[in-house]
This record gives sequence, structure tokens and C-alpha cells, in this order.
Amino acid sequence: MIDHTKAVSAPVEHKGRKGFLPMETNLFDRISISVYIFVAICLLWLRFIEPLGPNVIYGALLCVLLGIFIVRKG
Amino acid sequence: MRSNRMGWGLLAPTLIILGIFGLLPFFYVIYVGFFDWNVFSAEVGRQFAGADNYRRLVFDEEFLGSVGRTLLFAFCVVTIEMILGFLLAQTLVRDFPGKAVFRTIYALPIMIAPIAVGATWKLLTIPGFGLLPYYLDKWFGIEYQLGSHSGQAFWTTVVMDVWHWTPFVTLTMLAGLTAIPKEPLEQAQVDGANRFQVLRFLTIPMMMPVIITTLFIRIMDALRVMDEVFLLTGGGPANATRYIGILIWRVVFPQTNYGYGSAMSLLVLYMTLVLAFLLFSVLSRVGKQNTSEK
Repeated sequence: MIDHTKAVSAPVEHKGRKGFLPMETNLFDRISISVYIFVAICLLWLRFIEPLGPNVIYGALLCVLLGIFIVRKG
Repeated sequence: MRSNRMGWGLLAPTLIILGIFGLLPFFYVIYVGFFDWNVFSAEVGRQFAGADNYRRLVFDEEFLGSVGRTLLFAFCVVTIEMILGFLLAQTLVRDFPGKAVFRTIYALPIMIAPIAVGATWKLLTIPGFGLLPYYLDKWFGIEYQLGSHSGQAFWTTVVMDVWHWTPFVTLTMLAGLTAIPKEPLEQAQVDGANRFQVLRFLTIPMMMPVIITTLFIRIMDALRVMDEVFLLTGGGPANATRYIGILIWRVVFPQTNYGYGSAMSLLVLYMTLVLAFLLFSVLSRVGKQNTSEK
């Protein structure tokens, strides 16, 4: 028998947490933020740093490390 | 363990359609963005170019200029539409004679295809033939030249977009206004709150989800505006109304530079996502602050 007196809620879990980022985030949020930062840094690197010498691949590596940090601690 | 086979089975058609028509082209655009692919170039087919398209993009004055113009256009139209739409929704929520007729006539621009909107405004603004140049000259002494005055061309595209999309904002706001419960508003009035206080501390916070959703839809639309502006001005005079959508069209179709066009499209998508994310973060925080203040 189904108990109709019980409150019904959608089986969706929001596993948000608060890290060093200024808001509560779940895994998807942190991955999105990492991707946004990755693209922004790579474009800025191409525009301002690469003409001085260092290849954009170093910027990309830096962004990957930063992304891992954000996903873990953000 | 509970089996979700039935659920996944019901979801499968939607997921397959989403995958084929949504995700596949998206990943293909990312892929093509790393190639030099021009059907009229000396090299046949795609040549892998690494980050060259993006390297070219960040120094491309035409692209950066059109990004700036598109952002300015989006800011102008979205601000005007949101304010006008909200005020008109406040008016339309009350009863007055002929309300149903007015609401229907008012909603007509949304039903018109953008290309027809562009054609209509083109007819309205042709110098020596259109109504707009004629009356602007007759009533205000303004010489209106869409084809040679960049400021006039820009503001005409803004007015055209506002005319086209304000009814949409009004309708969504109206839906939000009619859905909010009346009891808190009446209680606040009984407690002595004036109309501005009711609007500031009750109506707007309760309508925040509708406002955020409408704002996102309009920002996304405004950033990829193309057809109506293309028909009205063709991106001119010079490049005064060459918004990013028109520039991408020029690069991809007449110039057949698919790789570079894909890189541009991706950057526009990125811009839209970041703007939406930032706005959502800020507005959600404002909404939470308002709730906690109460």
C-alpha cells in the first residue's frame, strides 16, 4: 500500500559544499568554473604572454592544475 | 537495488535526439575550430592548425570590435526590454476596458518571424520612401540616413529589437505577476507599506525566478542576433551594426572559412555561458539576501 500521507519529494540530491570558492558548489559547478577559467587564461595567454615567448601549452598545463585544485578544494 | 531500466527506457528517445542534434554538432564545432578549413583554399580538405584560429582571433580587430558592439547592443536592448516589459506587465495585470484586445495586438510582434521584422523595418526606414525618415524630418527636423549614419543605424537596430521582443518580456512578467500569491501583498498594504515598498520588498523578490529566466533568454537571444539586423542594415554602414552573428555568417558562408568561423562561434558560446553564470550567481545571491532580510 502507498502511504499518501507522507510528503513526496523528487529523488534528486544536491551534494553542494562550501570550499574556498565564495559560494556553495557541486561537482558540475566546479568543473564548469574550471573550464571557464581554462578558456579565459588560454585566450589571455595567447594575446599577451605568447608574443613574449612562452607557448600556450604551458598556460594550458597551468590551467589543468588549477582546474584539479578547484574541483578538489573549491 | 532498485532497477531504473524503465526510467532510462522512457528517457532514451529524448537523450538520443539531444545527443544527435545537440551534443554531436557542438563537439564537431569544437573539433573543426582546431582546423584550417576553407573550401576555396589551395590545400584540399582540412588542415590541422592547432590553436592558430584562436591565436588569430585574439588579435583580430574586426572580431574584437564586433564583440564589443554586440555586448553594447545586448546591454541596451536587454535593459530597455526588461524595464519596459516589467512596467507594461504591471499595467496589464489590472483590469481596464479593451484589455484583451490590447494584449492580443501588443503580442503580435512576437509572432512575426525576425526576417519579416527586418523587411518591415527596412521599408519603414528607407530614405525618401519610409515613414520614419519622413516624420523625423517633418516633426523634429532630424535628417535620418540609415545607410550613412552609424549612430542612427545602431539605435535603429536597438529600437527594432525592443519593438520585437518587449512583448515577450511583458508576457513572461505578466505570467509571473499573476502567479504570485496576493495575500502577502494585501497584508503589506494593511500594515501600511506604500506601493514602492510592496514592489521593492515583495513583488520583485517573489518574481526573481521569472526575472532571471527572462533575462537569460533575452541575453542569449541578443548576443546571437543576426537575421533582422542583417536584413535591415546588412551590418553597415561600414561595420557599425556588424554584430557577432553577422560577422560569423560572413566568415562561414561567403568566405567559407569554416575553421575560423567555428572558433568564433565557440567564443560567442563561451561568452554567453560566462555571462549567464555570473548573472545567475549574482542574482541568486541577491535573491537569498532579500529572503533573509525578510
